[in-house]
Amino acid sequence: MADLVVLDRRFIARGVERSSALRFMFWLVPWVILVGLGIYAAALCLFYGLNQTNMDNRFAFGMWIYLDLGMIALGAGAFFTGFLVYILKQEDLKPILNSAVVVGLICYSGAVAVLMVDVGQPLRAWFTFWHPNTHSMLTEVTFCITCYLFVLILEYLPVLLRNRQLRKVPSFLVFEHQLHKLVPVLAGLGAFLSFFHQGSLGGLYGVLRGRPFAFRQGFAIWPSTFFLFIISAMAVGPSFLILVTATAEAVTGRKLVQSTVFRKLGRISGILLGVYVALKAIDTLVWLNVTSRAVGFAPWDFYAYKPFGSALLFIEILPLGLLPVFLLTLPMTSKRRGWVLCGAALACSGILLNRFVLTVQTLALPTLPFDEYLQYIPSWQEVATFLGVIAYGVILYSLSYRYLPMFGQSKGVDKNVPVG
Amino acid sequence: MKLSRRDLLFGGAGALAGLVLTPVPWKLLSDVSIWTQNFPWIPQPAHGPVDTKFSTCTLCEGGCGLRVRMAAGCPVGVAGVRNHPLTRGALCPLAFAAHQLNWHPRRLREVRHNGRPASWSEAQAAFEKACGEGPIGIVDGRPGRAASTVFTAFTQKHHGSYQSVLSVESQALAPYADWSGLPVSSLGYDLENARTIVSFGAPVLDGWGTPGRFTRLWSEHAGGAADPQLRLIHIDPSFSRTAARAWRWVPICEGSEAQLAAGVARVLLEERLVSAKGPMPRLTLEDAAAQTDLSTEAIRDLAHTMVEHQPVVVIAADGNPSIAALNVLLGAVGAPGGIVRKRADSHPQASAAPAPSSLRALLVDSTVPWEFVTPASTEVFRFAAWDGGGESAGWLLPAPGFQEELTDVPTPSTSAREMYAVAANLVTPPAEIQSATQFLRQIDATLPEVEKVIHARCEEIFHAREGTVYGEHSVDVATVDTAAHLEEQLRQGAVWLGDSPVSAKFRCELKEWPTENRVSQGTSWASTWIPPVFPALATKLYQESTLRELPAWRLA
Amino acid sequence: MSARYGFVIDLDRCTGCGACMVACAAENNVPPAAPRATPRTGLTPMLVRKVSNGMDGIARREVFIPIACMHCGNETPCVSVCPQQAVEVDKATGIVMQMPQRCLGCRYCMTACPYHARYFNWWDPAWPTGMEKSLNPAVAVRMRGVVEKCNMCHGRLHSAMEKAAAAGRREIDPADYVPACAEACPTGAITFGNLADDKDPVSHAAHSPDAFRLLAKLDTEPKVYFKSQQAWVRGLADRESDRPSEVQNG
Repeated sequence: MADLVVLDRRFIARGVERSSALRFMFWLVPWVILVGLGIYAAALCLFYGLNQTNMDNRFAFGMWIYLDLGMIALGAGAFFTGFLVYILKQEDLKPILNSAVVVGLICYSGAVAVLMVDVGQPLRAWFTFWHPNTHSMLTEVTFCITCYLFVLILEYLPVLLRNRQLRKVPSFLVFEHQLHKLVPVLAGLGAFLSFFHQGSLGGLYGVLRGRPFAFRQGFAIWPSTFFLFIISAMAVGPSFLILVTATAEAVTGRKLVQSTVFRKLGRISGILLGVYVALKAIDTLVWLNVTSRAVGFAPWDFYAYKPFGSALLFIEILPLGLLPVFLLTLPMTSKRRGWVLCGAALACSGILLNRFVLTVQTLALPTLPFDEYLQYIPSWQEVATFLGVIAYGVILYSLSYRYLPMFGQSKGVDKNVPVG
Repeated sequence: MKLSRRDLLFGGAGALAGLVLTPVPWKLLSDVSIWTQNFPWIPQPAHGPVDTKFSTCTLCEGGCGLRVRMAAGCPVGVAGVRNHPLTRGALCPLAFAAHQLNWHPRRLREVRHNGRPASWSEAQAAFEKACGEGPIGIVDGRPGRAASTVFTAFTQKHHGSYQSVLSVESQALAPYADWSGLPVSSLGYDLENARTIVSFGAPVLDGWGTPGRFTRLWSEHAGGAADPQLRLIHIDPSFSRTAARAWRWVPICEGSEAQLAAGVARVLLEERLVSAKGPMPRLTLEDAAAQTDLSTEAIRDLAHTMVEHQPVVVIAADGNPSIAALNVLLGAVGAPGGIVRKRADSHPQASAAPAPSSLRALLVDSTVPWEFVTPASTEVFRFAAWDGGGESAGWLLPAPGFQEELTDVPTPSTSAREMYAVAANLVTPPAEIQSATQFLRQIDATLPEVEKVIHARCEEIFHAREGTVYGEHSVDVATVDTAAHLEEQLRQGAVWLGDSPVSAKFRCELKEWPTENRVSQGTSWASTWIPPVFPALATKLYQESTLRELPAWRLA
Repeated sequence: MSARYGFVIDLDRCTGCGACMVACAAENNVPPAAPRATPRTGLTPMLVRKVSNGMDGIARREVFIPIACMHCGNETPCVSVCPQQAVEVDKATGIVMQMPQRCLGCRYCMTACPYHARYFNWWDPAWPTGMEKSLNPAVAVRMRGVVEKCNMCHGRLHSAMEKAAAAGRREIDPADYVPACAEACPTGAITFGNLADDKDPVSHAAHSPDAFRLLAKLDTEPKVYFKSQQAWVRGLADRESDRPSEVQNG
């Protein structure tokens, strides 16, 4: 046992304070259990088939797809922060860059892991690369997400290789140094790939002519949801970063970044969110009055089913849309940490609601004139798998925080953070 | 030279890059995908010589023509027969999956006695012993077959009693048999010449009689048109399938069919809408209206509508005499378009002799519905192809299933013309299977063989020189050269149909309006389906869709 | 000369018996329901839906609508969304072909189809012991985790083509190619033919004033036409009438 404690200490950077090994283990235990449960649920699905879930022929996409879209939107902070730092030269955001990459890696690897269980024949996943359909948004998503995951791994490697023990290996140091030079390229590539797959995720639903609730007109082959998803992802990425970092600060009891970083991220998020809300309002009006009318839907037809009433639309645009814009941009609130956190949480909720509306509500609504509204409640296997992914994220983040330089050099912050 | 970590790393990276350029990883990937297309636990169809055989269905008394596609000696698909004179290619939904019935999980494959496995020799010994100790009864669910001749021969020789179970459609014809003195099997419905058909709860568009006969007729002459040539009026407390497609639906209170018949009869007689003068029912029109939950106007309107387009015939769901009496009033008995007499000399049935007060044993044929109740004190020898569940006291004997034995198909009860067909065994039954006739012949070898009886019947038809044989082409019997040729055609799936009901005229004596206080029960579809189980694919109708509800008396 | 095979289904003649559903399942080696299957997880490439006009008593009307793949002809929704081209439109016949061997099971096509004509194999197909001997050798058995749908009994088209080739003809005999549902229908409500052939009665029926297609406004160009003399039924074509309701119990 004492050996483990010594070993653990050796991996922690010098001059850095971390909680005791025992305490860290206790912290990990519940998350490991959740991961175990998640693996068990996923194994059931892989072994017995997707009848272990509550998805059915009408709800062909369920909780997993919804959460995949949500996670990928929230993980947009990775590419966007990289874009801001390396392309737009916003150097004051550099301290948060590494943690952004970790969050991004967690979100994307988690989404891909869930996708592997979600498809009926995971062993055929490579068919998309072999027989790609250029008309399909999902082909684009598959290609881009796979490439971007690879990019994220490459961006994570330098952080990983700066671990105290790993640095001792000379070739790792050399490799890491070379990679470091590549980082701006990776950031640009990541931004480019993300632009497309964030948009394509929106396009997934926007092209569905058979689902007037989701279908949107657009520009060339891209429906308006393509662009709305990109903007909303860029808007919510920084907010999610704020929330995750604030949570980490609360759990570790240490200040990890300067409050200016939060403020800046918050303002960027707020401005982009404002642009998004404005565009979404216009898009909604066009969709309700022009696009849907053309196929016989009166504006409020979609909201006739009470659990999914028109309140949802207003909630998405106002308290979860416009309100966080104000909270994050107006001087009197944007300078206060509490309000910033509040605004970030509302923004993230708004985007999650938006993804929910577009994935689950779309499928609940009837398409044929004699369809019934249907209900869908995920099974425990679906919930457990997803909780397992969250737990995996917490574990990866915790390990990264404990053993790797997640929050880079910055003055005015606890010297618990190593230099270089 | 010393290998450094760098050498290993670079060597490894290079090997990996090189491997990608070889076919190895791509071949492995495609092998993986081929494996996913051929999971070892997914069944594959057998491949073998493909053949098409014709036969007749024996799963209810409808006698529909079957076209069975065979592959490697097993039936792999069922369809109707386009030029079948009665069904013209139509079948009930269950027929299309009937070829899978022989492998139903509830298929009986071993002899059982009081729930425990036993053997045929034990059953035979017990039956022989029972024969020696007292009178034996035989219950036949499909009278008129060659097998029925074997049963009656046995009971006559061994002083037993022969009992037949009438199908629900036959029961509906029973009142006319009572009133005319003719056997039930000689009567039928001349639907082809009717212009108004009034159904009292009989699911005429959903599994009544020979399922395809009326659906084809209705489709040609009515088909949901607003002013059809053939008017279908359906009387039913619920909005059944027949009600949904009928020209008129008359919703009545449940169980008040007899009262409605009485009310209509009163209007017909009082307003002289029919030539008959009586008998007048005792129920008043107002009482009839109150009990059926219709207005007196509605009943009057119904009576007027019924006689507007003649000939009119009323079809009851069961043997309710009041509804049958309505046909007598309407002049639909013994007239074209109504209840007619098929050729009288159809195969003579043994009159059901009154059963001795206590039978030593009862042999129940596999054509008898599972719900048939046997007296508690009698030793029962129950032949069945599928286990319908419930208590199993007595002997449960595995009988041939779908198209597993040579048998013949007598005229369906609702048909207006005589019919004869032969269902050859398309499938070899499993070793443990024995039919009731084979069992009886083991005990008494002097009994006639089913094959020989069928042969004799074919000879009879040949020598009578009447009717038409419908095979690949339709051929007058008079032009067939030999009896053997006729029999060969029938054994290959052709159907013989007698001439139009020549002796349509017969009389029913009805002195007074029936007072039997009987509540008529509408039948639901497939009520004449003999097996206690539905084919496996019936789950499409009951479990995987909301199209139908599983009847309580059938196992999925 | 390319054909455009399609159906005209007379809703005034359909009695909702379900023969088409069972015949389709038997022809296409669809397994019987898994023990936990429900109407929402069933495999019914042909599905008859019962729709009423929402009224009770004498005013009540019900219609049965057989729904299978519409084989959309214009920018087929499922074809454009499949990430690995496991669905394609056969130019020679207009049939929308699903290849279960290539399907990944992502179910994107199922969200794209507005007619709910696609079904997922939530379970491995299983037949009672021995019943696999009764499987149709002309149709491949699928495995779990893939999407399937009506293929217009493509196996029968193949047999018809083989028969024609054996007789030295280039065109098939129309009588040789009839999908299982049309063959099974006891009232002749489901009719099948070549919509591109002016002499085909089905092509003629498709242009009658009583004919309509479901969700015509979506502009998917389905090849299944419905016909009814009842105005309320024709109103089901699009969302013009008061919403009728689907009847849930049998």
